[in-house]
Amino acid sequence: MSVFLSSLGFGLISAAVLAIATVGFTMQFAVTNVLNLAYGSVMINSAFVTYFLNYHLHLNAWVAMIGGVLTGAFASYLLNRFVFTPFQRRNLPPITIVIVALGVDLVGTFGLQAIVGGSYFSYKQSLGRELHFWGMYLSTLQLIIIGICVVVMGLIHWLLKYTRLGKAMRATSANASLARNSGIRTQRVISSTWLISGALCGLAGTVFAMNTGVFEATSAQLYIVLLLAAMFLGGPGSAYGAMLGALTIGVATEVSAGYFNPEYKEVIAFVVLLGMLTFRPYGLFGSEKTI
Amino acid sequence: MSVELSTSGKVLRATSVSAGYDGRAIVHEIDVEATPGKVVSVVGPNGSGKSTLLKSLVGVVPVLAGAVTVGDTDITNLAPERIAMLGVGYVPQIDDVFPPLSVKENLEIGGYLLPRHDVASQIEAVLKFFPRLKTMMSRKAGKLSGGERKMLAMGRVLMLSPSVLVLDEPTANLAPLVATQLLEEYIRGFADHGSTVLLVEQRAKAALRISDWTCVLSGGRVVLSGAPRDLENNPLFVESFLGGGAARA
Amino acid sequence: MSAILFYLATIIVYGAVDSMACLALNVQFGFAGLSNFGFIIFQAGGAYVAAVLSMGPWQKSNQGFQQYVLGWHLAWPLPWIGAALFGGLLAIPFVFLVGKRLRGDFAAVGLLVSAVLLNQLVNNFVPLFNGAAGISIVPAPFTHYLNPQGLGYQFAYGGVAVVLTVLVYFLLRRVTESPYGRSLRAMRDNDIVADALGKNVRVQRTSMLILGGMIAGLSGAILVGFINLWAPGAWGYAETIVLFAAIIVGGAGNHKGAILGALLVPLGFEEVTRFLPPLSNPELVPALEWVAIGLLIIGFLWFRPDGILPERRRILSGAGKSSVPSPIPTSGESDSLINLGNLDQMDFRQLLRLEGDASDHGIILSTDRLTRAFHGVTVVSEVSIEIQRGRLTGLIGPNGAGKSTTLAMLAGTLAPTSGKVLYEGRDITSMPSNERAKSGMIRTFQLASEFKKLTVLENLVSAIPRQSGDSFVGALRGRRFWGRDDAENIERASEMLEGFGLSEYADSYAGGLSGGQRRLVEIMRALLAQPTILLLDEPMAGVHPNLAHKIGDQLTRLVASGMTIVMVEHELAIMDAFCDPVIVLAEGWVLAQGTMAELRAKKEVVEAYLVG
Repeated sequence: MSVFLSSLGFGLISAAVLAIATVGFTMQFAVTNVLNLAYGSVMINSAFVTYFLNYHLHLNAWVAMIGGVLTGAFASYLLNRFVFTPFQRRNLPPITIVIVALGVDLVGTFGLQAIVGGSYFSYKQSLGRELHFWGMYLSTLQLIIIGICVVVMGLIHWLLKYTRLGKAMRATSANASLARNSGIRTQRVISSTWLISGALCGLAGTVFAMNTGVFEATSAQLYIVLLLAAMFLGGPGSAYGAMLGALTIGVATEVSAGYFNPEYKEVIAFVVLLGMLTFRPYGLFGSEKTI
Repeated sequence: MSVELSTSGKVLRATSVSAGYDGRAIVHEIDVEATPGKVVSVVGPNGSGKSTLLKSLVGVVPVLAGAVTVGDTDITNLAPERIAMLGVGYVPQIDDVFPPLSVKENLEIGGYLLPRHDVASQIEAVLKFFPRLKTMMSRKAGKLSGGERKMLAMGRVLMLSPSVLVLDEPTANLAPLVATQLLEEYIRGFADHGSTVLLVEQRAKAALRISDWTCVLSGGRVVLSGAPRDLENNPLFVESFLGGGAARA
Repeated sequence: MSAILFYLATIIVYGAVDSMACLALNVQFGFAGLSNFGFIIFQAGGAYVAAVLSMGPWQKSNQGFQQYVLGWHLAWPLPWIGAALFGGLLAIPFVFLVGKRLRGDFAAVGLLVSAVLLNQLVNNFVPLFNGAAGISIVPAPFTHYLNPQGLGYQFAYGGVAVVLTVLVYFLLRRVTESPYGRSLRAMRDNDIVADALGKNVRVQRTSMLILGGMIAGLSGAILVGFINLWAPGAWGYAETIVLFAAIIVGGAGNHKGAILGALLVPLGFEEVTRFLPPLSNPELVPALEWVAIGLLIIGFLWFRPDGILPERRRILSGAGKSSVPSPIPTSGESDSLINLGNLDQMDFRQLLRLEGDASDHGIILSTDRLTRAFHGVTVVSEVSIEIQRGRLTGLIGPNGAGKSTTLAMLAGTLAPTSGKVLYEGRDITSMPSNERAKSGMIRTFQLASEFKKLTVLENLVSAIPRQSGDSFVGALRGRRFWGRDDAENIERASEMLEGFGLSEYADSYAGGLSGGQRRLVEIMRALLAQPTILLLDEPMAGVHPNLAHKIGDQLTRLVASGMTIVMVEHELAIMDAFCDPVIVLAEGWVLAQGTMAELRAKKEVVEAYLVG
């Protein structure tokens, strides 16, 4: 039982980071039908901008995080505007866009490595007091991250359900042509979606780096596997599915790590992903694309 | 019927319009004029280019030659959202709602261009037209029946009180009774309240009953046009649908 | 001097290994349209198996510092053969990802993730793979004959590697330049249509996954025998991206392009950076290499998507390699000018190998309460129809009546929600579409469905059933086996092309034709598939009326020669002239059936078309 509870704690924190990342990733897929495999490289670049502001400009890590968030937003916006959109205009098959995204990922990740080198970094930040409750061990920092996740998920829910922009996003995702006929400037909506999802990406990169403690340029390279597993579990393009998928994958990987060899904890994500792709490629609940 | 949706219709005019995909025209040199308070219908067999014509008027298919105007504004090849802003409401034949959005949200999207505080009151006005929707506001549009879905599609367009309504086969896939009601009660009603209605219909006789003017399209060209009662008795009219010399005999 | 020679030998081995890998990946990606993002798994797996097969039994006393299994100490070339076999076996678990249902990019992601996680697994699993440390002191092969330290050995090794690469090149050419290769490219261009013409898409993809896996395994074995080391770190998923970059740069769908790409990208990058002066930041050069590879991919896909050596257009007509295809008129109106050549003189019975008695009008195909619903909406509702042999049956009805859905269920491209399809009295409801095609039910599609990057003649020939070279084994047996048969098939297709008056476009890519011409290509292709029943989905849509009537005349002649045709069409004038009987569907139901004249007299039919 105690193994279960303590690993559940780890599960919640990885689920929190994963949820922020997956929601951004899935929103990009929803409005533009792009599997943006360069997402991990934008995450880690944002984390490094936070690092720069934190370490070299001596800003508090939480303040510096704003820089990371903005980096993610603008990098994602530019990526869509100047790479994915031009390629999509040529009516290429989705696989070509995926290959382009992989190319961008290499440029982003290793461009960063060329600048910062291969060493490890960490933020100037205290983990805070270790808290022990209900059999879980979490640091204050981790609790804050979980808190951020809850707030962000609430904001996304509010955005999608109650704001004009959010509804326009969902409408664009469901039927872009009809959205235009309703007077929605879908290009702007798509740009806004990439800005917002990019901000989530930057945030996810920063809290990912905070949570791992030490990180390097290539740290987020394999994170895309967890992202994909969480997204396909909840149904590609669905924000709520992404939240649920992230919670499941995050908790399942850590709990399995608690009971088996932690080295293999990602295996469960792998099995989930392949199973979903084989049997339910549009998610456990969905058959339609929807934010 | 509510008068709160009364609009000041504008004239929608297509002058010698040719339109199609990839530079290849599917409809050729079409002249159509729809005026306020009138229903103008375009009928013709499947594949005659009716839908393509409508799509070219609302900016979905490129116009290759000719001009489209609303009132005094040239809308030829404007972006669809610009045309919507100019008061042209378009209901496509299929994919006419946002399935994952609720009925209420579909209507809100319909009123996307309205000032924020007008949306709720406009939804009320639209619901007076389609009271049946009132009981299903939180249901997802993808779960509606065919008739309800079409009402929602029309309600979505009415949110902007459009001066011109462009409807592509609104009765396709509807049970005959529902179809008749939709045409005679609602669509005729829009025109009677001052809107301009341009309608593509496959149920030609039903369309004739509610129209003030009808064009018959075949092979991408207008082959026949006139007032409904003239067309009805014209043997060429039936022939253009069912083909062959039998109708003439 | 000898240092340079040693270096040269090393380059030869690396070049051969990279070329072999790129050739294999190119057959999968460039020819079969299979985006195998997990390619590196197969190379790594082959390398590991070759290593442990050639090593001696595990003993604590000597090499006890590493763990592995097998250790059979097999003599060369057995470890290499084992590596190739293992590469092929490794393909089998991935077969389920490459069926026809899954979106191409989703399948690719599945393979990519497999590569990532298998690598992690190996990294951590010490008992079998010795974890991240990997295996070292892998015995070098053929040391019995040559001293492995000597220059002669190095060059001999390079020589063997090059010879094997050349053999792989010829093997793959044999496959891709055969009728089977044509089917692979057809599947790449449009898998649903290939399936409807009787190609077993799943089997074709599986074969290419296995073939590519075997070659990848062999290339891994050659590498591990040379460097004598194997560690999972060297086989990261990104290595696959390097190979993709090589193929994109060299030219997908071109074997020489794959080799060129292999020499320029993986080998080029590896070797050029060797000569850079050492820098203070040791990660800088490899990092910049990766950046350059990323930029290469993006740049080539944007500026030169076909690569340096683009895929070759295959000239099948006798025109010779210099043939320049005729320019294609761009205006849609020009379709009215298409003349159907000497089709009237053509003997369909002979050309299409039609058999059976043309005057037999028994029931050949029927449905029993066939029903289909999409998301709870019933589109076709309990349709029971009977199709007579040797007649042209029309299927008409207003938009949304369920005509195309019914046709798709007849052809098997869509599964019914309930009800049965009976073909010559046999229940075929659960028979897959490609098997129905093989048993003589051929359908066409409403939307453009030509194989874009196959020439017109290739499009036609690809549909001919029972080609002796249209199987993996048939292709391997070589031109001597299938050449004569293929020449005959090309002859037949050319005759058909001439009949339809399109001979001048024989060697043009089908994707560049006008709308009307593409329709004709599709009809010709369907005919060459030798249908017993031809299912046409709006064949006249977008075709100029003049041409439509010419096509209709030919359909009547086909029926008179004994073929059965079912045609969905909305142009009722066509129905009038050519179809008997006509079945009217409305709102998913069968409304009426009879000749057009009879139907026109029926009130309910007129109502369905004209009234609300």
